[in-house]
Amino acid sequence: MTSPAKTIQDRNRELARQINEEALSNPSSPYAGKFVGIVRGQVAVVANDLDELGRAMDGIAVPPDETFCIEVGLDYDEPQFIWSAK
Amino acid sequence: MPRAIWALVGGRPVVQVELHTAEGRTATRTLLADTGAGTLRSGFELLLRDEDCRLCGSRQMQSVCLRGAYEGEYWAYMLYVRIPMLGQNRYVRTLGVENVPPGLDGIACFRFLSQYAFGNLDGPNSFGLERLSPK
Repeated sequence: MTSPAKTIQDRNRELARQINEEALSNPSSPYAGKFVGIVRGQVAVVANDLDELGRAMDGIAVPPDETFCIEVGLDYDEPQFIWSAK
Repeated sequence: MPRAIWALVGGRPVVQVELHTAEGRTATRTLLADTGAGTLRSGFELLLRDEDCRLCGSRQMQSVCLRGAYEGEYWAYMLYVRIPMLGQNRYVRTLGVENVPPGLDGIACFRFLSQYAFGNLDGPNSFGLERLSPK
């Protein structure tokens, strides 16, 4: 059985994916280049940088696992290379 | 401008950051300074162990796809970190991973390092960061 928190996070991630896809295909999207905070499946914060987003999200009294954040406009499907031995 | 200098570890450049746990404790982590890790457009700045990300009560961010020494999809988290010698606190996009470079606690990637002037600012046996002048 799926926990309620997981269902919320699935909704958060889906909305984040939609917002990013829209911004990648339409640079004039209001979210393009912004930092977006999502709470329980809805956009709660739109900020200009990560610090502004973090401060605003900390002011929202919701457990972190019911929130999701995204820097809009990056291609998250493009592989990023790290060569340092682990 | 404020400057932070660290001795090389095993001949490798490192930076140290302070993490703040959800319980209010502070933990110092020594990270490999790797300018070849990621790009300026990567959705992450640091790599840390998964447990460090969880300890800090981090908010989840968009996952990214890694290749090279790390293969697969990794979730990013928003961590609040401090570099005391620079007098700087800020939120940082951090990937949670199972394994980190031997003898170290993670990797400071190019997007993190590029926020500073960096290099052998105090000679060949150390690595340093210096805050950039405001434009």
